Amino acid sequence: MKVYQRLAANFKAEGVTHMFGIMGDANMYWMHELDKLGGVKMLEVRHEGAGLGMADGWARATRSVGVATTTCGPGVSQLATAFLTASRAESPIVAFCGEHPTNDQEYNQRLDQARFAAGCEAGFVRLNTPDDADDAVRKAFYMARMESRPVMLSAPMDVQQKTFEDDDEPYKPSSTLIPPRAVRPDPEALRQAADIVAGAKQPVIIVGRGARWSGAGEAVLRLAKRTGALVATTLMAKTWLSEDEYHVGVAGTYGTRTAMRLFEETDCVIAVGASMNRYTIEHGYLFPKARYVQIDSKPHVVMAGGRSADCYVQADARAGVEGLDTLLEERSFRNVGYRTPDVRKQLAGQYEDRKEFPLDPGTVDPREVIRVLEETVPTSISLFTGSGATAGFSNIMFTRQRPLVLPSHFFGCIGQMMPAAMGAVVATGNKPAMLVDGDASVMMHLAEFETMVRYDVPLLIVVMNNEALGSEYYKLHAHDMKSELATIPTPDLGAVARAFGGRGRLARNAEDVRAAAAEWIAKPGPMMIDARISRSVVTLPYRRIHYGEDE
Amino acid sequence: MIEVNERIEVPSAPRTVWSVLSDPHEVVGCVPGAALGAEQEDGSFDATLTVKFGPAKVAFRARVALELDPAAMSGRVLARGKDDKGGTRIRSNLTFRVEERAEPAGSVVPIEAQVEIGGKLASLVEGGAALVVKRMTREFTERLAARCAAAAA
Repeated sequence: MKVYQRLAANFKAEGVTHMFGIMGDANMYWMHELDKLGGVKMLEVRHEGAGLGMADGWARATRSVGVATTTCGPGVSQLATAFLTASRAESPIVAFCGEHPTNDQEYNQRLDQARFAAGCEAGFVRLNTPDDADDAVRKAFYMARMESRPVMLSAPMDVQQKTFEDDDEPYKPSSTLIPPRAVRPDPEALRQAADIVAGAKQPVIIVGRGARWSGAGEAVLRLAKRTGALVATTLMAKTWLSEDEYHVGVAGTYGTRTAMRLFEETDCVIAVGASMNRYTIEHGYLFPKARYVQIDSKPHVVMAGGRSADCYVQADARAGVEGLDTLLEERSFRNVGYRTPDVRKQLAGQYEDRKEFPLDPGTVDPREVIRVLEETVPTSISLFTGSGATAGFSNIMFTRQRPLVLPSHFFGCIGQMMPAAMGAVVATGNKPAMLVDGDASVMMHLAEFETMVRYDVPLLIVVMNNEALGSEYYKLHAHDMKSELATIPTPDLGAVARAFGGRGRLARNAEDVRAAAAEWIAKPGPMMIDARISRSVVTLPYRRIHYGEDE
Repeated sequence: MIEVNERIEVPSAPRTVWSVLSDPHEVVGCVPGAALGAEQEDGSFDATLTVKFGPAKVAFRARVALELDPAAMSGRVLARGKDDKGGTRIRSNLTFRVEERAEPAGSVVPIEAQVEIGGKLASLVEGGAALVVKRMTREFTERLAARCAAAAA
């Protein structure tokens, strides 16, 4: 047996069913073997970075390892932004990358892939000898899972072609190394947390995606009722638990003014599976009077501003919240807190944004686009929101719960959410989903729309098209600089989508958007709506950041 | 760095305006969100200032020093402050002068100031901070006019 054959069999034994990437002569033999083994679907993409982005989406949607593949050298160097994005998203990914032959240091496609991986914050495992074939694959998957990060498995072309001797030994997958136990909270830490919570009059519970992953939802709602807490989420857990009538949406710049006003009186924040980074707590300014209790499965988390929670409880989110609630129940603790009719009244209109802007001719109010999509696209459809200026509309105004609601944000880059959304759709068994992103983002990996068509991925891409690099456009404008410098015209992206073999529509008003969305809902498939939005409408976050508006 | 370059028009006599501007308690009363604390040995004052950057409130603790030239009816206000939440620093250097205005009778107060915001909030508030300072200047003008009118009455 050749080493590449063993490597392929090991990937299959790790439970891999899908992978994303581009074939080259340094991963070709391995791919060929996987095809022969069967059961692993290879999705050929148009840019290696997009392939890794899809593996990232897979990982974010399923919390299982996403797999990408590239050839050596130039295939690998395309991965930079996607690796960094996945690293910041803490997505478990294994990228099988060919590497130039160890016996040819003048090879045209040579690249120091270890240094490249380090610069991209990716873990690195090299297949140094044929005997490493099992250890290398196992280690790569183990690292990806346990460290929750992308890992490059770098396999030199010549080593892949050598003979693997122990082919009668069964491969032991990484799962055999990983204990299945959840982290239980330390009773003393939990008692301290209960003391702080029991002493609070106006508590807020902030749930992050860690809480969602651990299934802490019911426990959180129980704790919120017992303590009189408002429920807020991080951006990454957006809309989760919004069935609670004291849900205030996202904590942070994408939050509502109503929420921010209420937070001014908060005397205790209970963070559950949330890192409490600078965005969530606005460097601490969002909760000027609060003490913090933080429950997270990591050994410790330092919050924004370099401070520690007043009480940190290392625990699986669900176990931690249940433990805390039980302690409070034993003390017969009950608090009305924020849960009053007056607060409920304040929350009733919290998402309304009535500020009027004159619209540019032939364009639609971006807020109207979101409102129409929110109304017309059923809640069974997952939602992905992109980055850039238009995220300031989608990340605030979409409020309904959906199977998946995944915002962009990581590494602050544009262009990465379309591949991630595609990967997430594939990961969830091709269930229809919707991506709402900006024009510069979608244009960056536009070629992947063709990939969507080829694999019939039922993703609706709504392009919030202001024909500009929006963030810069508004920033230049706020600084009295030449904002037109950030404008870039686009072709009719509906027509482009049709040329790629999918469906597409150009939308210049709310009715166009409604009709196009209805067409997709009736028959989900690869489709793009080019919604021409008015640049005159400024997002709430930008009104706050660039114009100091208290809205 | 935020530059303020304003000419405040007050419908009161220069002496009245000066009497307000040369009194630390009166001046602080004109600054929205500000309160004066104890006087220090060197003549400077402790002060607090709460500013809203968008919906986020930041409370600064500041030391304010006033240098006054009664003959020229001019002065300089130096303020340095920081907050205890996110490590934001603020430093401001403001000069003003009270001049007579002939038509209609009253005063003109040219104000020049440089305001520097540093630390973590600086990136968050971006250009918005300049507009916040502008708004504060406008409110200062209104309050100053009201106080001068009250002082003259």
